[in-house]
Amino acid sequence: MNIVEIQRVSKRYGRQAVLRDFSLAAGPGERVVILGPSGCGKTTVLRLIAGFEAPDTGQVLLGGQPVSRKGRILVPPEARNLGMVFQDLALWPHLTVRGNLEFGLRARHVPRAERTRRIRETLERVGLGGLEERRPAALSGGQQQRVALARALVLAPRLLLMDEPLSSLDLDLNLRLRREILALHEALGFTLLYVTHDREEAFDIATRVVLMHRGCVILDGSVEEARRRLRDLGRDSS
Amino acid sequence: MSRRFVLALTALLVFVSGMLPVLSMLLRSLRNDDRWSLAAYRGLLGSAHQWALMEHSLVLAALVTGLTLIAGVPLGLLLGKTDLPGRRLYTGLFAVPLLLPPYVLAVSWADLLGPDGLLAGMAGPGIARATAQWLFGLPGCVLVLSAVFLPIPMLLTMIFLRTVDPRLEEAARLLAPWPTVLRGITVPLILPGIALAAVLVFLLSFGEFGVPTFLRYDVFPVESFVQFSAFYDFQAATAAAAPMAGVTLVLLLMEAASLRGRAGQLRLSGLERGLPRIGLGAGRMAWAAATAGLAVALVLVPIGALVAQSAEVAAYQEALRHAGDSLLRSLVYAGIGATLLTAIGFLTGYLVQTRALAVWRAVDSMTLFLFALPGTVIGIGLISLWNTPWTNLVYATPAIIVLGYLAKYTALTSRISATQLGLIPASMEEAAQVAGAGWARRMALIVAPLARRGLAAAWLVGYLFSLRDTDITMLVYPPGHDTLPVRIFTLMANGEPALIAALCTLMIAASVLPLALLALVPRLGRDLQDP
Amino acid sequence: MKRFASIALLVTAVVAGIVLWQRARVPTVHPTVVVYVSEDQVFSEPILQDFERETGIRVQAVYDTEETKSTGAMNRLIAEKDNPQADVYWANEPIRAEVLKQRGIAAPYVSPNARTIPPMFRDPQGYWSGFSARARVFIVHEAVKDPPHGVRDYTDPRWNGRAVIANPLFGTTTAEIAALFTIWGDAQGRAFLEGLKRNQIAISSSNGESADFVSAGRYAFALVDSDDAVNRMRHGKPVFLVYPDQEPGGLGAFIVPNAAVLIRGAPHPEAARRLIDYLLSPQTERKLALADCAQIPLHPGVQGPPELKPLDHIRVMPVHYADVARKLTEIQPLLRSWLGL
Repeated sequence: MNIVEIQRVSKRYGRQAVLRDFSLAAGPGERVVILGPSGCGKTTVLRLIAGFEAPDTGQVLLGGQPVSRKGRILVPPEARNLGMVFQDLALWPHLTVRGNLEFGLRARHVPRAERTRRIRETLERVGLGGLEERRPAALSGGQQQRVALARALVLAPRLLLMDEPLSSLDLDLNLRLRREILALHEALGFTLLYVTHDREEAFDIATRVVLMHRGCVILDGSVEEARRRLRDLGRDSS
Repeated sequence: MSRRFVLALTALLVFVSGMLPVLSMLLRSLRNDDRWSLAAYRGLLGSAHQWALMEHSLVLAALVTGLTLIAGVPLGLLLGKTDLPGRRLYTGLFAVPLLLPPYVLAVSWADLLGPDGLLAGMAGPGIARATAQWLFGLPGCVLVLSAVFLPIPMLLTMIFLRTVDPRLEEAARLLAPWPTVLRGITVPLILPGIALAAVLVFLLSFGEFGVPTFLRYDVFPVESFVQFSAFYDFQAATAAAAPMAGVTLVLLLMEAASLRGRAGQLRLSGLERGLPRIGLGAGRMAWAAATAGLAVALVLVPIGALVAQSAEVAAYQEALRHAGDSLLRSLVYAGIGATLLTAIGFLTGYLVQTRALAVWRAVDSMTLFLFALPGTVIGIGLISLWNTPWTNLVYATPAIIVLGYLAKYTALTSRISATQLGLIPASMEEAAQVAGAGWARRMALIVAPLARRGLAAAWLVGYLFSLRDTDITMLVYPPGHDTLPVRIFTLMANGEPALIAALCTLMIAASVLPLALLALVPRLGRDLQDP
Repeated sequence: MKRFASIALLVTAVVAGIVLWQRARVPTVHPTVVVYVSEDQVFSEPILQDFERETGIRVQAVYDTEETKSTGAMNRLIAEKDNPQADVYWANEPIRAEVLKQRGIAAPYVSPNARTIPPMFRDPQGYWSGFSARARVFIVHEAVKDPPHGVRDYTDPRWNGRAVIANPLFGTTTAEIAALFTIWGDAQGRAFLEGLKRNQIAISSSNGESADFVSAGRYAFALVDSDDAVNRMRHGKPVFLVYPDQEPGGLGAFIVPNAAVLIRGAPHPEAARRLIDYLLSPQTERKLALADCAQIPLHPGVQGPPELKPLDHIRVMPVHYADVARKLTEIQPLLRSWLGL
């Protein structure tokens, strides 16, 4: 059964169509990367899955259950039980690292002892042990990135959405964090839906690549297929 | 579900507390002997004198708006953007006139320049006669109202300066000196704040009649007032308020049009690092002296005249004996009013900012509309709506005063909240949502703490405007529960000048009290940012 | 949906509870009287405090002020007609009391203390009772050698541009104009108004302002309330006071008494009557006479303010206040057009 499935969704903002008859599915443990130029609708896909937006037509399913359909949100974001790393990270500046992680656990009524344990485990896993009491503003860029990741993972989601999480980092750090994300995926086995405009990043992370252009899927296949298609496109245009 | 429910409830509350009374008045104004009729309006619009009064009002409001913008925006830049010594003190000083019922300032100017004023004592009756002639008329009205409303553009400029992304200015600083950057980058970026200030000042000076009445300059709102006080004709009074509603509407449309496409420039700034301040360098002292001069002329001199009038211990004893209870009540009601105004303004501001319900625009215009309407109309509307045996719990208790505050001043807290909320990236709340938090939890633990500075500002503004309200309170306060401004107003008739001056001084003290808190709030904010 | 239902249920229950509680509410144990006051608070509040002290009845007051033309008390009384909050209205002139009677807001009550007050200053059915009055007088600057004698002097070319009168849309000035109309008839009344205009009589915003103008020497004289004149004299301004139209057979001075009104449907009728009795008592009149408001007592034999003649030494303009009130409403459009409104 697919962890996430988008069936024939279209979405407009005013007069502008962002997604047209868009479909996508990802199974357990897959690492699907949505690759495309900016403004092609990649982020909208994630927002539809998270439940911030409702599709105009078509439907979105999580774990086989419809969660939104034709302009209606059936299951609100807070009940979808998924993790998300935002492009701007969206770390809450008024809370400490621990507070950022603890927020979701409290919302889900996780008992205190278990909260403490999971926060410690998760922070150690992303290499942030000992920084619990810092506020986001007092962390380096890479550390902030890891906090955002930890905040999503502490809830042990089956699906993790990442919206260009590494785009603002230098290449060294970018490469290092890619490795870490892959290692975390290996260890935790979640399904990853990853959005980027960077080809190398995409090919590095993906088990499957979805190429998007102007709200449509132009390819859904393996990394090799994606490389070939992009090379062909590059040749056509030159 | 719960989000939509709470927001809808808030919108409903604003409607019930403010619009319903006004609509009930409007309905009455259209009925004549159980028939629909426009008679009340026809009589009004057909009179040439009305149009002359309207012209007076528009001229007055335009002059005051122009003057306060010309002085207030540079002042805001100076105080909010430079390293001017003593800038916090000046901010507080310039804000004082706004804290008072405007007629108090008119009284204090008359104490200074009037025929029996301080100047007459010092410079002789000849000069005093000339200044009195100047004060009593359009120039005096413009002077007093400009001093009263100057803080609005000043403070809004300062607030909106904090929303400018420092990177945008830094990028420009590489290419041009500060004055050019301010003109070309900073001021255009804070244009929404300046436009808001212009709208507020225009509406406030347009609707003000205490000062023009005192300084004997005939303006349009007086007409609505005359209908109430001389004829007890509620229909005509409402009809007379209609053109003011029209002017308000036009202004709101103009504001919306001028700001189209400018939204979305706001950024959460200052949270990452401090704002770049302009070094005034060698000119520092000259700037400081000029600012001090303005503060002395606009604030210290008239208020000094007031204090000089009251400079006896006996006057204060008398004032406390006469009005100690009223002062206490004022503080309590204003505190309750401010708290509710902050809560409701936060919710309506959130509604306006997120557009979570289709009625967001209606709610926004409704609050501003009520803010611009003469308090008398709202007051009478509140009476006719709430004075039934079934609602005595509201009407016969101070709850009705608070309801009046809510009706009139939600616009302020709503706009402040909306501005502050606009600075918070949507992803902050979305991240909380993904983490599994329901709406109430997101609001309480994420959005409200992030907007704390705006909430503090909203509370203060709500407090100050509730504290100084006279129009509505005067009409609806339950017997024996008057507030200090009302008592000052009623004691002004034949009261001892020293007593009145002492009461006004108490009023200033009550207003300045929370300003001390205001000084603490930014510090609080900074503590949170730099642990 | 479930949550919505439970919230709705809760709200309904709370509202129902409040309403029931309101309905079942026992009248307050502590005796209270609610009074709306148009007499200046500076003068009325001490009287009400004395009443509180002497009777133990708590007074809850709403003050208003004519000087600043506030809209409080009267508008509230009218708007609250169907669910009155006030027990007593203390009007500073009888016209408002008449308006209340005509609008069905007043209730009749003849106080035992009213018997010795001349019938002219009481409503025949007891809907209002007058006490402590002001007289309408001329305040004249000392430099004026040959002062005016009567209101007709306003139209005498001798005073062209040299006199001032308060805005006739407000207060006692309106009442006096209306009173003149009832005595002279409409034609003469109109002629008088036209005469004022022709004679370039200045219009001030209030009687107080008129008095200030004369004190400052800007105008020779003004028709004001006696307390305005006394007040300026006590402050040593170069002015004196003239009772208008005192010659034998003359028009007489217009007298403006305070008026006490029992409100129909008053929540505390018993306390209300006691307050009215108190207001109409000779001792209240004496206090108001000796206070800065310098009111003329209506009870015979009560000591008045030293600057003013007692009532029985003044030739009083013989008017019916009910007629004046009716006329006042009638001539409003005329006054407005006369003022150019």
